[in-house]
Formats: sequence, structure tokens, C-alpha cells
Amino acid sequence: MALYQMKKNCKCQIEKLPCNHLLKCLGMREGMTVCVKSRQPLGGPIVIEIGKRSFAIARDVAEEIVVREVN
Amino acid sequence: MSCHTTEQEELHIRKDDVKILLMGNPNVGKSVVFSKLTGMEVMSANYTGTTVTYTKGNIQHREKKGIIIDVPGTYSLEATSPAEEVAVEFLKDASADAVICVLDATNLERNLNFALQVKEYGLPTIFALNLMDVAERQGVYIDVQQLEKELNAPVIPTVAIRNVGLRELLQKAWEAAEKQEKELPTLALSEEDRWLEVGRMIKNVQQVEHRHPTFLEKLGDLSLRPFPGLPIAFIVLMMALGVVVGGGKGLRAAIFLPIVNNWIVPFFRMIVGNFVAEGLIYNVLVGEYGIFVKGIEWPFALILPYVLLFYVVLSFLEDSGYLPRLGVLVDSTLRRVGVHGGNIVPFIMGYGCSVPAILGTRAATSFKERIIVSSLVALAVPCAAQTGAFIALLGDHSALVLVLVYLISFIAMLLAGIVLDKVIPGKSEPMLLEIPNLLMPDKDALLKKIWIRTKGFMIEAEVPMMLGVGFAALVAETGALNAVSGYVAPLTTGWLGLPPEATLGLLLGVIRRELAVLPLLELDLTTLQLLVGAVVALFYIPCLAVLGVLIKEFGMKIALTMGVATILLAFLIGGVLNHTVSFVLMLL
Repeated sequence: MALYQMKKNCKCQIEKLPCNHLLKCLGMREGMTVCVKSRQPLGGPIVIEIGKRSFAIARDVAEEIVVREVN
Repeated sequence: MSCHTTEQEELHIRKDDVKILLMGNPNVGKSVVFSKLTGMEVMSANYTGTTVTYTKGNIQHREKKGIIIDVPGTYSLEATSPAEEVAVEFLKDASADAVICVLDATNLERNLNFALQVKEYGLPTIFALNLMDVAERQGVYIDVQQLEKELNAPVIPTVAIRNVGLRELLQKAWEAAEKQEKELPTLALSEEDRWLEVGRMIKNVQQVEHRHPTFLEKLGDLSLRPFPGLPIAFIVLMMALGVVVGGGKGLRAAIFLPIVNNWIVPFFRMIVGNFVAEGLIYNVLVGEYGIFVKGIEWPFALILPYVLLFYVVLSFLEDSGYLPRLGVLVDSTLRRVGVHGGNIVPFIMGYGCSVPAILGTRAATSFKERIIVSSLVALAVPCAAQTGAFIALLGDHSALVLVLVYLISFIAMLLAGIVLDKVIPGKSEPMLLEIPNLLMPDKDALLKKIWIRTKGFMIEAEVPMMLGVGFAALVAETGALNAVSGYVAPLTTGWLGLPPEATLGLLLGVIRRELAVLPLLELDLTTLQLLVGAVVALFYIPCLAVLGVLIKEFGMKIALTMGVATILLAFLIGGVLNHTVSFVLMLL
């Protein structure tokens, strides 16, 4: 499932990251647990939380991040 | 004459001077550490990419001189972006004696990953564990002694903004630099192994206690959702407008105008009156439109109150960390003009001055996005000084026209953005942005920042303004203005429907944006003429300083294209507006 499709406040684990240098640099890695904090209408970015940090991720990128829901 | 200096002053480095690099992830407070250690005035804000080029500063320690270099923040040292290349270049350069690596205590994991990469270069490294106060408030506890062991290097806990720990930091860095013996570079790890190592270290040094979110954390989260984020954004913008426009008018009427008109201008009149007899020179200096009358009244009484208050609002927003949140909310709108939401920051800076806005586009955007943002800012974003002039011109006469001017500015930006997005080849980057913690700005840091910016305006606006007014007084007094006005009459009176004297604004507008507006103050214009005059001034060539920075950033060809395009658009839109409204009025 793509990260972009996750509902708000859902926790999920990153299974596969696309080849994006900046994603890795921001500290995102496969196996991490993330939480979707907010979604925007009209194909806007989503904001996710990893630990205590928040990141805004564009739809194009978030659609390529494969995640698995965890609870 | 630019609003902000862009040139790096090359400091002379002697061979025996100690050279220390200041490095770290973006938005960990390197610039704050730098300005506190060197006493230099550099800009800092609560979001990534404030420092877009390196800055050098002098430091002194026990009578010995040294130099410290503020390297732009990067997330890694893999040299995949221009900022990273700069950082790696500095580390490889053998002349560096030590590195101060600033770590963000609230985000230790990613920062340690960077720390390990720095250590691979084998320079003596001191770590500043910054933002300790915020970390504690969030319930993050770090065992500093254990961290020193893990990193095999000194770690100094700091709260840079309040000077906590900085003396010790400099002391340790100095000792390390003077030892002169290079450390053995640690073995370069693969990315995978490095993260594993970081994970192991985190387990040993960090404890996180669950805390209930504070009010600011809750507000920070709420401001990211469409609801109530959009209403919050609306309230923030209205409050900002209220402070700048309402407060500016109050300041102007209550303080600045009386001081200028009752004290400063009479003072200059008296002095000049003692030396110069009434006549041409007297009029140019202290006549009704003289250098020491309008040249002081315009910048100080009409413009300064708005510039000052704009910088109060901008500095507060910057340091609070709110602007990236606004970027998330406006991303889908901004993407229509071909740029991602993070670019809202240079746009908002442009309402202060276009020069730092255009320089700010260097932070992490593609070339296409830089061109689009810079063009739109140069074309249709009025700077704080021009806003002050608009309010002086339109505020008392018709608030509706004032609103209309800004509405036209927005529409023009949207249309021009859509066109530029289509025309300019290349790709826009998708948004990928760290959202900083929402913080209550530190009072001292805020005041200092407002002071740096306002002082910059006073120094750099006053000279061109007086020269401009002096030039205007001269051409008006000698009758040269009438001659020039005759040549451009078809444009000003025919096409734009303005009185011939409006030529003066067009001449002076090349120097500074507000000077395209201010001469209209004295002309007793109709409402339509006010609107047309203001709109032409809005789109007109974006002042000499901006042209200079455009040339520097994008080269002569692109800068001149932008300059010519803005002039043509100004006359085109102004004229069309004039003729359409006249035509509609005739029909009614």
C-alpha cells in the first residue's frame, strides 16, 4: 500500500523507499514506523511524523513509498 | 545600494590563524552559534536553508586571532547538492584546524548520522548539543558523558540563542585546533552500517519520556490540517496586515510625521537658510520638494513605519516556525504556478525586500523554480517600502483602490506563473520539507533581527532616496522635466491617462520601487489615475538593487529579459486598465 493512501492518524511501517536521496538524508529508512498527521485536499502533500519530527511529502513521492499498516 | 549585502567580504587569513569550521544539519542553529561567537550580524530563522552561502567571521581567544566559517547546513556529506559540495570541499581542504559540529538534541538520530560522516574526515571535532532546552521540554534526555564516549570527542550541551555553553564550546574548539595533531579518520561506513551504528548509540545515550503535547505542539499540528489550518492562516495574515497597515498608520501619524515636520525639517531649513540665499539651490535643498524636505519626509515619515512593522511581523513568523506550515497549506495552489509550497517563504520575504527573497530561492529548489519565484517576486510583489508608499497614496483616498491593487498583483502573479511554468523548460521538485517545531521566538534574537533589517533599510534606502529627490527637485526647478515629459507624453498622458508630471515617477522608479509611487502623492489625481499610477508602479522595473542581484544570480541575459518584460507589462496592464475603465465609465 502506498503511504499517500494512508488515513490520518494511521501508523504504518515503511517497506520500500523510492530512490530519493533527500528522503534518506531526512532520516527515512525502511522498517521505520511513521504516522500520517495531516492530509491536504486537491492532491496536496501529506505530513508524516517520525519520532518527534514532522515532514511534508509531496503526493508524487508519497505514492512511491510502500508501507504496511501496523497497530 | 542593495537592501542587503550579498558580497562576501574576503577576510584576510594569515597562515598561523586558527581556522574552525561550523557544520551541521539544516536548522540546528549554526547561524545563531556563529553570530554569538563572532559578534557578526547574520540572519537566522526557524526553518531550513536560511544560510545559502558560507560566511566567514573573526574570533578571538586569549589574544589570539582565528577565523570561523559558517558552512551551509546539509543533511549528509555525499556531495549531491551544491550546498553539500561546498561542505565537503571545506572538510577536504587541509587548512581547517577543527570542526564545531552542531547537533540538534531534539533530533539526535539523524544528527548523529551526520556526526559520523564528519568524523570520517579525521579533523579534530567538537560537538555542540544544541536546543537542549527544547529537548528537555519534549521529554528527551541525553547522557552527555556517554555520548562523548561514543563519539570519542567533546560534547558540549548548549542553548545557543541564550548563550548557554558557548564559552566552553569555543574554549574546547580552540584547544583541539591548537593541538595540531590530526586525528585518525574513522573508518568510512556504508550507509546501512552507519544507521545501525547510530541506532546502537541512540540506545545507549537517549531516553525519551512520554509527555503530553504542549499547547504550542497542539497548535503546530492543528495548523497543518486544512481545518482549522486554513482559518488559522487567515487569522495570522489578517493580524499581520493589521499590525503593518493599522500600526503603521498610527506610528506615522503619532510619532514619525510630527518629529520629521516639527523638528528635523525646520532644523535643516534653519541651517541651509544661514548659508544659502533663496533661489534655485535653496529650493533644491530645502524648498517644498527639496532634498532635506521630501528626502527625509518620504523615507522616514511615510515609509519607515511600515518597513519597521513589516520586519517585526516577518521576523516573528520566521522564528516561530510557522512559515513551512503555511507552505504545506498553499502547496496545491503554488504548484499551479510551477513551484512547490516551500517557496512561500521567498514570496513572503519579497514583501519586505526582493533582494533577500531572490537570494533565498537558492535553498533547495530547481533552477526552473528559482527563475519562476524570482520573476514573480520582481514583477508583482511590492516591497515593504512600496507598500508604505501605496498606503500613503491610497490609504486616505480610497481603501478600495488599495485592495484592488493587491488583487491585481495576485492575479498577475497567478497568470504569469502559469505562463512561466509552461514556457520554462525543466522540472519542478516535489515538496519534501521538514516541518520545524513551533516555538515562541526568543525576544532578544527577535529584536536583534528587526534591528539589523531596519538599520539596513535606513542606511541603504536613505542615500538613493535623497539623490532621487535631489534629481527630481533639480529637473523640476530647471524646467528640464517639462522637456522630458513632452517626449513621453503619448505614453503617460495618452496611453496611461496620467498628468505629464507623472513622468517623474517613471524616471525615479528605476532607482527604488517606492519612488515610482511617491511623486504621485503631490499630483491631486482622480481615483482612476491613482489606480493606474499605482498599478504601473507595482509592475514597473524592480529597482536597481534587484536588477543587480538578478544579474548576479542568473546572468545578464535573463536579468535583462526580466527587466524589459516587467516594464512592458507595467505599461500594457496600466494602459489596458485605463482604457477599459474609461470605456465602462463612458457607457454608464
